[in-house]
Amino acid sequence: MPSTLLPKRVCACDSAVIEVAHPCRDHVRVKVAVPGFPASVPGQFVELRCGQAGTNAPRERCWTDHGPTEAFETSWLTREPYLRRPFSIADRTGDEQGAQVEIISRHIGPGTAFLDVLKVGDTLNLTGPLGHGFDLPSPNRSAILVGGGVGIPPLLYMSRVLAAEKHRGAHLVLGAMSRDLFPVTCSESPAEDGRPRRCLQLPGGAPYAATVTTDDGTIGLRGRVTDGWQRLADREQLSDPIVYACGPSAMLRGVAVLTRSLGWDCQLCIERNMGCGMGTCLSCVTRVRDESRPAGWRWALACSEGPVFDRDLLVEEWDHAAR
Amino acid sequence: MSAKSAEKETDPRLTVSLAGVKLRTPLLTASGTCGYGPEYADVLDYSRLGGFTTKSVTLHERPGNEPQRIVEVQAGILNAIGLANVGLQRFIAEKIPYIREMPTRVFVNVAGYKQEDYVAVCEALDEFDCLAGLELNVSCPNVSDGLMFGTSPELLRRLIEAVRKVVRRRLLIVKLSPNVTDIAAMARAAIDGGAQVLSLINTYVGMAINAKTRRPLLANVIGGLSGPAIKPLALFNVHRVYREVAQRNNIPLIGMGGAQSVTDVIEFMLAGASAVGIGTALFVDPALPVKIADALGEYLHSNNIASASELVGKLALPQ
Repeated sequence: MPSTLLPKRVCACDSAVIEVAHPCRDHVRVKVAVPGFPASVPGQFVELRCGQAGTNAPRERCWTDHGPTEAFETSWLTREPYLRRPFSIADRTGDEQGAQVEIISRHIGPGTAFLDVLKVGDTLNLTGPLGHGFDLPSPNRSAILVGGGVGIPPLLYMSRVLAAEKHRGAHLVLGAMSRDLFPVTCSESPAEDGRPRRCLQLPGGAPYAATVTTDDGTIGLRGRVTDGWQRLADREQLSDPIVYACGPSAMLRGVAVLTRSLGWDCQLCIERNMGCGMGTCLSCVTRVRDESRPAGWRWALACSEGPVFDRDLLVEEWDHAAR
Repeated sequence: MSAKSAEKETDPRLTVSLAGVKLRTPLLTASGTCGYGPEYADVLDYSRLGGFTTKSVTLHERPGNEPQRIVEVQAGILNAIGLANVGLQRFIAEKIPYIREMPTRVFVNVAGYKQEDYVAVCEALDEFDCLAGLELNVSCPNVSDGLMFGTSPELLRRLIEAVRKVVRRRLLIVKLSPNVTDIAAMARAAIDGGAQVLSLINTYVGMAINAKTRRPLLANVIGGLSGPAIKPLALFNVHRVYREVAQRNNIPLIGMGGAQSVTDVIEFMLAGASAVGIGTALFVDPALPVKIADALGEYLHSNNIASASELVGKLALPQ
């Protein structure tokens, strides 16, 4: 049926930057006011037009495995980023008429470099909400929200939605490589033994206690999110929880293996190289199980069928890790 | 539809004709950048679009290439999707019902790896009155000899002749590849075979390398370059085909290749295009064809030009 007859699910418009914060060295949190932003759920994302033709890109830092290097300039790095960039919604308040949407960006390339220098009052062109988000848990079911690095934002949105619905028994386990890459400001030091604390400084207050881990121990417990989560599982008697996770693929594989061995349900929010974000360019493919196909799998688009998938569907995150 | 859009829709200055098929505006979407219709329905008002060209359809379903399938490069993108599509049967069952309701002219892009495949798909699609035309993507290798249909004039002519026999009610458009020595020869071959409209250009073959890993960025190694990076090349190809072949044979051209502003569209029309496809730019702004059509209407009005078609081929060349 022509969808002109259906309520709009996606808007494409200019938004106004109303808040900019730098929660750590490498991340920027940007809040925008969007005049008509349809209903959204955690796990969905927006596509941002990072640069505008005619403006000069800020100097870019080149990211290496060992951290950012000194700023340097080449024509490649300072070019106008042509495509939009996808960002998970980190928070959303307000209704369809007047919504406030937050994203958190890690300065990593020519597109995100533009976001890093946004100021209050700037305009940001946005398309969204896009994709298929997390299924919310039933009110009495415990939920573990696991976020790694730049995969943390959708879990922040999830925690706010659960808190708004008076959901009890949500636990946050958030990790990063180091303090400089942890995209949330902490109001107090997170416990080094992984004990959950209300240490996160979020707009509107931290709805749930969080366990924070870093690979180098510069903040919170030294270790991986899965270490933090095992402390949590030891302490709390969790029966049949559901795990929501977003982060680097190695982390997602770890979460997939662990939840599978515990027999827990799990939904993973994945990241793929995207062109359009709306299901037309067919770039952001991932293998999902499909027994009706001869190969037992098919390509699914992360932008429209995902980015949230049930763990058992994802061939790369689960099957490959199990081998 | 709002009264306002209905009013704009009827701006007669923007109406153009492609071999007898009237388009509301000269702005089309280019194949492979707009899906099959539902994807952009929330953000692109089809009732104000000249025409919509679907993603390629092949006889059998194709899963497409391994990722990474797309790379952003300077002023554009490289893609190697691998003609991922649902195949003819599912296209008819799942996509045609939506297309039937689309308030614009719809063209289906058809691709194949054998002449018989093209013929089978075109013969089946010729039955559907909701389709305005079929656009042949001839930038595929022919499995029987490995040559691309679009790089051999003889192969191309025979292909179009065979397809022409089964396409009786739809407009037959042939989309030319720029990866040839002589695009005018290809245009002649396509017209000899029975093409009613030519669209040009498809993407340029290119590649991107990650110096750090020493690997190609695309899993397919090579891909098609599109976006504003290729606009001057596309303009040249449209100009050449118009001057050397299309004008004297009275064959309309659909120009495409990096167009993303009203000025770009006017340039393509001056070079000889009767209509202009917007492709890669849709990934950045899906509503662009409608915005450009509005701006084109204003341009025509303020310059006292009665019809967009008056721009076609009006390039002022040095004497």
